[in-house]
Amino acid sequence: MSTQITWKHLALWALFLGGMALLPMLVGKGTLRTIIFANYLAIFAMSWDVLSGRTGYISFGHPFLIGIGAYTTAILSYRFDVPVGISIPVAVIVTMAAGTLFFLPALRIKGTYFALVTLAFMELMYQLVQVIRPDLTGGTRGISGVQTLTRGAVNGYYLSLALMGVIAISLWAMMKTRLGTALSAIGMNEEAVEGSGLNTTKLKLFAFMVGAGVAGIGGAFYVHYLGSIAPRALFDINFLFTIIVAALIGGASTIIGPMAGAFFLTFLLEYLRPFLPGAERYFIYGSIALILYMYEPKGLYEILRKARERLTGANA
Amino acid sequence: MTVILELEHVVKRFGGLVATNDMSFEVAKGESVGLIGPNGAGKTTIFSLIMGEHKADSGSIRLHGEELTKLATHKRIRRGVARTYQVPRPFADMDVLANIEVGLMPDSIMAMIFTAPADEEARAIARSVGLNDADLHRDPAELSMGDLRKLELARTLATKPEVMLLDEVFAGLTAGEIEQISGLLNEKRQEGMTYVIVSHDLRSLEPLIDRAIAMTQGTFVCQGDYATVMSDEAVRMAYLGH
Repeated sequence: MSTQITWKHLALWALFLGGMALLPMLVGKGTLRTIIFANYLAIFAMSWDVLSGRTGYISFGHPFLIGIGAYTTAILSYRFDVPVGISIPVAVIVTMAAGTLFFLPALRIKGTYFALVTLAFMELMYQLVQVIRPDLTGGTRGISGVQTLTRGAVNGYYLSLALMGVIAISLWAMMKTRLGTALSAIGMNEEAVEGSGLNTTKLKLFAFMVGAGVAGIGGAFYVHYLGSIAPRALFDINFLFTIIVAALIGGASTIIGPMAGAFFLTFLLEYLRPFLPGAERYFIYGSIALILYMYEPKGLYEILRKARERLTGANA
Repeated sequence: MTVILELEHVVKRFGGLVATNDMSFEVAKGESVGLIGPNGAGKTTIFSLIMGEHKADSGSIRLHGEELTKLATHKRIRRGVARTYQVPRPFADMDVLANIEVGLMPDSIMAMIFTAPADEEARAIARSVGLNDADLHRDPAELSMGDLRKLELARTLATKPEVMLLDEVFAGLTAGEIEQISGLLNEKRQEGMTYVIVSHDLRSLEPLIDRAIAMTQGTFVCQGDYATVMSDEAVRMAYLGH
């Protein structure tokens, strides 16, 4: 599983991110705003994948973690005038602490039961932010007028790209180590990992904290991009499934997969908008995701990998 | 002889069923012991209790005199005891080399991040159990049952055990594969490995063990050399009903 990081890998990353950096010169501001959302969705999908795609503990409550990060920095900066240089790191730390809370059910349950408990976390958060201290959370209406970090689509795009690039390369490098192999092994057969002399509780806790930390970073920066936060948009089942489907159809247990899935889904939903402005779009996107998933359960990443294998095989 | 593994008055109940009923036995360093009994005798439960996969209701399990019952499975493995399973449980999406590599990993997250995979050691272990270099990059799904058993042995050996618990190590193997696995086990035995072996294939088991312990319905019946145990009336009753 774990392979050496080579100059070829780094060159491919540089090429990808360099190409992305040129996009503002090639596309309009509307498209750029769509890509900004895709970048953040890629961050959320990568964080879900660290937690669920690797270890096999499928979380249905990821917006809970994103929400903790987003609300923490929004409340600190908007209500208490805490500088964002402080409120964002605090938000990430608080989200990581919430990740350990998320981890508790994973000590005893897995599979469907774990998924349902994490879904309950999200629902609980949705209800609580509306009734507990609405003077802080803004209740059902949320908070608007949160400080933004950038002005204009181009700057917002570069910030989101830098964030996605740093997170993707860091996670990719981490997953290339023996740790990545061990986390993937947990997803395949947790008992056999324990039976190989490894402390699976410690490994899962680490994965949950890293996944939560990335969700916290994504949530915090996203709220400072949007400038507002509302519980209905954040703790939404469609948002949750967009994150999960992005990771799954892109290719769980990889880094490129969730990124590719996030871009595929964002543009699919965007291009369907003129034809189907309502929620019907989700029917089409659900059908496409289902067909793709049935055709190749390992996602777009595997389809591309097989295509490359066929091409290089044909050339050999 | 130095005692390496001791079980003393171990009891395990699953609801109303007493799966392990006051079992006590010792295994000396370098010894090979066969644990025999009919289906449902509680042999695999003994292995699960030693490994901590089931918690004993009472009694003591010691390795080198150290109490194991309070330790988690991974800690018991680090102390020097490991097991194989009746049905091999490889990591399906990893090749053979990576499967063995999991058994060689340090149990520290920092060490996992900052140390390189022990590929050479994994290759050496693979060769020592008779896996070919051509098999190393195969997925477990492509292996024969014999090679899967070898992989299971390799993964277990990678944890550097002093005592190996082998559960139905000959199940599903051809006569040739049984001969090969027996040869491997004997080689490791010459190097000082201690075994507790469960097998229904008594003919293949006999040459591998110094001593047999018979049990039925979770209860100790008798122990001694293979011939003595097999001629014991209670053992014949448990196996053959007469």
